Amino acid sequence: MAQLVRPEALTLDRQEALGYVGYSGQVMSEDLLQRFEQLASACETTLEPVGVWDVFARAESETCAQSSGFDKQARSADQAQSYPGVQLVDGPWLAGADIANHLTGAKEVVLMACTLGAKSEHELRKYMALGSVDGVLYGACASALVESLANAVETSVVDFAAARGLRTNFRYSPGYGDMPLAVQPQFLRALNATTRIGLNVTPDNFLLPTKSVTAVIGLFDADAPVPGARTQCSVCQLRHHCELRKKGTFCHGFAANK
Amino acid sequence: MALPLTSETKLLADERVVDACIADMRIADVRIADEHLHQVLLGNEFLVFDGAMGTEMQKRGLALPGVVPDLLNITDPRAITEIHAAYVAAGAEVITTNTFGANSLKLEGRASVDEVYAAAVRCAKDAKARYVAGDIGPSGALLEPMGTLSFEDAYELFAEQVRAADKAGCDLILIETLADLREAKAALLAAQENTDLPIFVTMTFGEDGRTFLGTPPEVAAEVLSSLGAHAVGINCSLGPDELLPLAQSMAHRARCPLMVQPNAGMPRMENDQTLYDVTPEQFALSMEAMIALGASIVGSCCGSSPDFTRALRAVVDAAKSPKPRDFKPALVLASAQQALIMPTESSHIAVIGERINPTGKPRLQAALRSGNFDYLVGEAVAQVEAGADVLDVNVGLPELDEAATLTQAVDKLAATITAPLVFDSSDPDALVAAVRSYGGKPLINSVNAKRESLEAVLPLVKRYGCAVLGLTLDEDGIPPTAEGRLRAAERIVDAAERMGIAREDIVIDCLVMAAATNQDEAREILRAVTLVKEHLGVRTALGVSNISFGLPQRSLMNATFLAAAFGAGLDLPILNPLSARYRDVVAAYKVLCGQDVGSLAYIDAYATAPDPYAQKPTDQKDTQTSQVQVAQKATAFELPFPLTLALEDVSDEVTSMTYQILSGQKGSMAASTEVLLESKDALDVVNGIFIPALDEAGRRFDTGEFFLPQLMASAEAVKVGFDVVRERMASTSDVSMPSSQHTIAVATVKGDIHDIGKNIAKMLLENYGYNVVDLGRDVAPEDVVAAVQDQKITLVGLSALMTTTVKAMEQTVKLLHEKVPATRVIVSGAVLTPDYASKIGADYYAKDAAETARIAEQFFAS
Repeated sequence: MAQLVRPEALTLDRQEALGYVGYSGQVMSEDLLQRFEQLASACETTLEPVGVWDVFARAESETCAQSSGFDKQARSADQAQSYPGVQLVDGPWLAGADIANHLTGAKEVVLMACTLGAKSEHELRKYMALGSVDGVLYGACASALVESLANAVETSVVDFAAARGLRTNFRYSPGYGDMPLAVQPQFLRALNATTRIGLNVTPDNFLLPTKSVTAVIGLFDADAPVPGARTQCSVCQLRHHCELRKKGTFCHGFAANK
Repeated sequence: MALPLTSETKLLADERVVDACIADMRIADVRIADEHLHQVLLGNEFLVFDGAMGTEMQKRGLALPGVVPDLLNITDPRAITEIHAAYVAAGAEVITTNTFGANSLKLEGRASVDEVYAAAVRCAKDAKARYVAGDIGPSGALLEPMGTLSFEDAYELFAEQVRAADKAGCDLILIETLADLREAKAALLAAQENTDLPIFVTMTFGEDGRTFLGTPPEVAAEVLSSLGAHAVGINCSLGPDELLPLAQSMAHRARCPLMVQPNAGMPRMENDQTLYDVTPEQFALSMEAMIALGASIVGSCCGSSPDFTRALRAVVDAAKSPKPRDFKPALVLASAQQALIMPTESSHIAVIGERINPTGKPRLQAALRSGNFDYLVGEAVAQVEAGADVLDVNVGLPELDEAATLTQAVDKLAATITAPLVFDSSDPDALVAAVRSYGGKPLINSVNAKRESLEAVLPLVKRYGCAVLGLTLDEDGIPPTAEGRLRAAERIVDAAERMGIAREDIVIDCLVMAAATNQDEAREILRAVTLVKEHLGVRTALGVSNISFGLPQRSLMNATFLAAAFGAGLDLPILNPLSARYRDVVAAYKVLCGQDVGSLAYIDAYATAPDPYAQKPTDQKDTQTSQVQVAQKATAFELPFPLTLALEDVSDEVTSMTYQILSGQKGSMAASTEVLLESKDALDVVNGIFIPALDEAGRRFDTGEFFLPQLMASAEAVKVGFDVVRERMASTSDVSMPSSQHTIAVATVKGDIHDIGKNIAKMLLENYGYNVVDLGRDVAPEDVVAAVQDQKITLVGLSALMTTTVKAMEQTVKLLHEKVPATRVIVSGAVLTPDYASKIGADYYAKDAAETARIAEQFFAS
């Protein structure tokens, strides 16, 4: 059964949180800094971050799943070329050339999902009502916290892999590159994530609670080449006209992971 | 006057009789198929439901991709009947129709709701089911505020299903697998108002013991059974062992039979099959424990099969009759996430925060008049942080539509805070409007002993499963003696119980009079509290601060009276939790009544706190210090724009205020604005400081000197100043601000719920003084046009985050240009570019909120 991860005393990276709202070294007033710190610690102390992950084998023959259910359809070689992706055994069809590339040579595949929980939605609305500045800063803190949570879940996966003499590559989320969000319902189903961690998906394939992350990690033999250094901008479809990149900041955190 | 004392045994016996009466009332007027089902509804006999439908479909190869399971009733009735028949043969008394997703939203016109239910019931009857349960699953859409489905629309979806199920010949309605308590409430109300069949409601919980929207089982049981469901419980979720503690929590709170349908353990995928890890034998064993804690309506859910039903049947037959539930009478007030539970036997106290009440609060009045419900959230959060357990919500202002205002206020509060609420209104229509869509169990404030009031309020308390606050006043006014107040309270309790309202749902307020005018009554009030508790066994409340009207040092008087009232038996003081003196008394008394176990909270709060009598108050000094610090910092600050002629003689003040704005300090803005307005014209302050300072913040944002929260903090500071100016102008009404004549509508387009960009733009525009009409998110093109036409708006801002919703943006722009050609449209959003904006026909492209404000300025200047 899938592993549950409940990190205790999770902290959020302040620089990263500020980075989400465009911080690139501006001089902040004491007042604003103090407000930010209060919100960050509220975020760390009142929410219940939780994650879940499981290991999936790759299907031997590449098959393309129907949009509903895991039922598979064999595909011809032609189709395999025009519809690249990775089929998991008892798991979803991960569509896209980018994810196929990401998992090239991977022995097994880990799916992970994590969330700040139902309360985070209430708190986000609360702080937005208390004032837009609080709302925006709290939202940024929650984004940074869910990133810390995803790191913690990833660490648990890395530890598991290391114990089996395997290596991992960076976590790749639906919505990166050409991997569609449409995979989310099956992704959550494969992990039983709604029951296990209260994570759900809207009809538009957005995760709910909003401060949640799903991701794919490849497990590789120790001597196998691992594709894809951790460059989140490199797989982003908006990289060519991104305002943040022009300013030298990044949506995934201040001056980190360029 | 001596009163006959009721013996405890007598009281208990009375309670049992009353409980039985209430159980009878619950099923009065219900269309019940036969005597066995009647006994089931009274909790006297077991009822066995069937098991998984989806799992059986999978086994038979019916669950093919793209197949809508509900349509199989029509396309393959024989297969469905076969599954039902297998469950009947295994001993299921109730067959659940294969209609889990049969609402008009999910069917998308492939068949009508009526057709599906008619076919489904036929399948169940062909299988020779003793009873047929019309199955209703979740709507499939998320309700507001998380999603976009309104409570009323959800109600309509469910109502259509209920009518179809009734028409098709069901014996009962089963609402199941709901995760949102508000949605469950919509379904239950829809069922109650569209059929007279029995209604069972079960919800699904996650591993953390809550629904994915955060509702714990005790809240679900309390709210749904108070509302009048004929059975409440849990289905799906987890395996039977994991569900035991959840079912136990429900048993304590369920006022009707408890229903449990667990999964066959936890699912795992193997060879593309979903497998469950519990065998029928293990399942039966676990269900014995479930029955021992009082579950009387049982079945199974995902992963089960007729073998599970057979094993369960054997357990039920062996148990013969249901065990009593360990129901724990208590006053329970609940939001959808959190309950205040005050067990009848305990001496615990809880604070009702009184601050959301416009009487004597001009800022709250103004907020309500302008529909600024965010202001209420601020008041609510402050009270909760100061220790309020429950919040009173009173939004009555003579010129407002109270039903609409109370509903909006309650919706806003329920979406942002989790404390249970008290609905405070004298207008029964307003109470009904607000209580229908509230996902919890509120306290209704109030009813009194006058016949007219009892007749108007108690029915709605009963109908919507609320608790009620009764005021001890009758046709002759407030009785001056304790005995008189007790008699009024008795009248309320009698009337409530006759109506079927349980005694634990009643709170009596013995009404505090001012000690300055009715000194003799102070002791009578305290005695009345004691008498009411002793003789009626109900909880008591008091609006504490009334005692000190007309006396100096009111907080001292209030706190002393509060301590005395606790001693007399007060459970629920209604007070201002921001008063430190009140908080001290509450914290101290919680030690004395045993609620603060080991005095831990008290020690934590007071061990290092200074004795307020041992030193002089320091507030004054602190304020001065902080002003000095600001001034010191401000001295190094140069005004970044030219000083206007009108403000030349106050250059220091202008510099200081501009510094406050640009450093985002809203704390001192109100005071400094007031000072300036004493000598200066409001327009000079606006045009000479607010606008140029905001422009400067916008410039700094553009150059990267500021990042977004700094720009926003500056805007917030200006808003505080603007509020002072507006108040001043409202009072003098000699001149109005130029920008407030300009109205801008903002909306996030249809299909998109990402409104943060729109909200920031709105805030900034408001802080420039514009009148902003916020149309919300997921707004249809026609709704934008209607609002624009209605309010003669000439500038509209549209936002969209997703590439998929830019289409809706294009449609909105097109429709606006077609219907209101004079109106101009600004578009903004992460995926838009200037080129794309012009391609979809927008008049302006704004890359961010600051640019939107600049465009507005140019637009209205030209």
